[in-house]
Amino acid sequence: MTSSAPRLTVVTGADDSAARWRKRALSTASHAALIIASILMLYPLLWMLSASFRPENEIFSSSTLWPSSWSLDAYVRGWNGLRVSFGTFFLNSFIIAILAIIGNLATCSLAAFAFARLEFRGRSFWFALMLGTLMLPYQVTLIPQYVLFQGLGWINTILPLVVPKFLAADAFFIFLMVQFFRGIPKELDEAAQMDGCSPWRIYWKVLLPLSTPVLATAGVFTFIWTWDDFFGPLIYLSDIRTYTVMLGLRTFVDSTAQSDWGGLFAMSSLSLLPIFLFFLFFQRLLIDGIATTGMKR
Amino acid sequence: MTAHPFSAADSASTSGRAVTPSFWSRLWTRDAPGYLFLLPWFIGFFGLTLGPMLTSLYLSFTDFDLLTSPNWVGMDNYTRIFTADPKFAASMRVTFFFVIFSVPLKLAFALAVALLLNRGMRGLPLYRAVFYLPSLLGASVAIAVLWRQLFAGDGVVNDFLAIFGIEGPSWISNPRYSLWTLIVLSVWQFGSPMIIFLAGLRQIPQDMYEAASLDGASKARMFWKITLPLLTPVVFFNAVIQTIDAFKSFTPAFIISGGTGNPINSTLFYTLYLYQEAFGFFRMGYASALAWVLLAIVAAFTGFSFLTSKYWVHYDE
Repeated sequence: MTSSAPRLTVVTGADDSAARWRKRALSTASHAALIIASILMLYPLLWMLSASFRPENEIFSSSTLWPSSWSLDAYVRGWNGLRVSFGTFFLNSFIIAILAIIGNLATCSLAAFAFARLEFRGRSFWFALMLGTLMLPYQVTLIPQYVLFQGLGWINTILPLVVPKFLAADAFFIFLMVQFFRGIPKELDEAAQMDGCSPWRIYWKVLLPLSTPVLATAGVFTFIWTWDDFFGPLIYLSDIRTYTVMLGLRTFVDSTAQSDWGGLFAMSSLSLLPIFLFFLFFQRLLIDGIATTGMKR
Repeated sequence: MTAHPFSAADSASTSGRAVTPSFWSRLWTRDAPGYLFLLPWFIGFFGLTLGPMLTSLYLSFTDFDLLTSPNWVGMDNYTRIFTADPKFAASMRVTFFFVIFSVPLKLAFALAVALLLNRGMRGLPLYRAVFYLPSLLGASVAIAVLWRQLFAGDGVVNDFLAIFGIEGPSWISNPRYSLWTLIVLSVWQFGSPMIIFLAGLRQIPQDMYEAASLDGASKARMFWKITLPLLTPVVFFNAVIQTIDAFKSFTPAFIISGGTGNPINSTLFYTLYLYQEAFGFFRMGYASALAWVLLAIVAAFTGFSFLTSKYWVHYDE
């Protein structure tokens, strides 16, 4: 390959410069297309952000992204726009998200360890069932779950949103962790087992310390999905003091939005900020996590 | 936490005291650890998934209303769904329309951009991040709120069209376009299938292209004969996941229509209709029947995809 290449360039010298020119043109065109697409993709987000900093009378009158004067009024108005301040909603959302992360990491990794590393009868049967729950529309379990949680007196508490996470209810993360655990050399477990390590010690001392990437990925996704969750809080939380940020936004839309778009956009932008920060700092993890789900079987 | 339940069993099995371990000790050393590790999952599976599933199947044959105890009504709920419920028919039309247009469009965008980025473009990480961001944020109520404004009569989209002298309608409140605004919102989130396509493209061995180009194959031919066939497992995965997600979509339609599915039921997603029946009218028995119809549709779709996959998905093992 390397020996024949120079000869070829000499023979086809004229064609080659034309081809190179064409290649450069193509590359420029591709970049142009991608840049235009990027702007189109980001424009709505930037517009909302800029609208949240504008004086109220300027939100719809100007379509430029840069406000003529910057103002934090909308944030103050929005923060106190409802009977209960958004501070409460943010706090509620954070508490739910953090408990969800703890629950998911603890119980999904236990289940994944059993599926990936332990030999026991019925393993493939239960594994198939676990994968089956990935496809299950939540509506099929919704009403009995609601009746159950209502019977337990859990309505208007965070328990219906948090307790399932401590029962490894997010099969996606079990699947993600199984994939990762399978990539860790089995010789490590076997050596530990020779030394008399119990399964628990292998899980705790050998596998988990090597699994920080997948644990971080699962943690970040749990945060984002719990933060964004709208349906669960909508069903289980009706007292405004227990609201999450998403419910607060929805109430804002229904009550005052027509008169206070600025406040609404300010709170909307603020609600996206935690997700954006996670994206900024854990981009690599998120992208790798998404990529692996589709690759290995 | 360091004292674990397996130590006794482990030392018994390694001490060699029992040359032929009894059935029970084998059960304990071999099977018990697996089941103990799965304990939380088992409680969740039986208590929150299987149990509720069977209960909702039972409820679907009753007139349960949350307040009084359920009465058996036989097939009444299902008969009404399929013969006498115009809202069910409307929500089916809306949902299928949404799935049929949003999923292929989203996948086409995802694949096109992934192919473009995979040509070794400079700035790949930046582009990838920009395109991925919307799919991370898109599920949020905040984005649905924003969409409602963008496509309003005096919204940003119409401001933009006005530059070209086009007077756009109020997209959100016009039944001809309202569903399309939701399709656009879904396609806007093409980032996550794009990432999976990119990872798939990376795994195609480069020497296949080199061999093909030595044989004088054109770029288009290489795409149809090498790239696409080798990418079919990823296409399949993306298509199944995105379709199931599309069937389950709820938040955008709820926020944009204010929970109504209007104008004239044009955004009445199936999930939204089910929510209205269950938590608006407390027709829990009827809503359970709706849920089982949804499960049947999703299961039929998934089964069909897996059965037909062997004819078009290329697995190299």
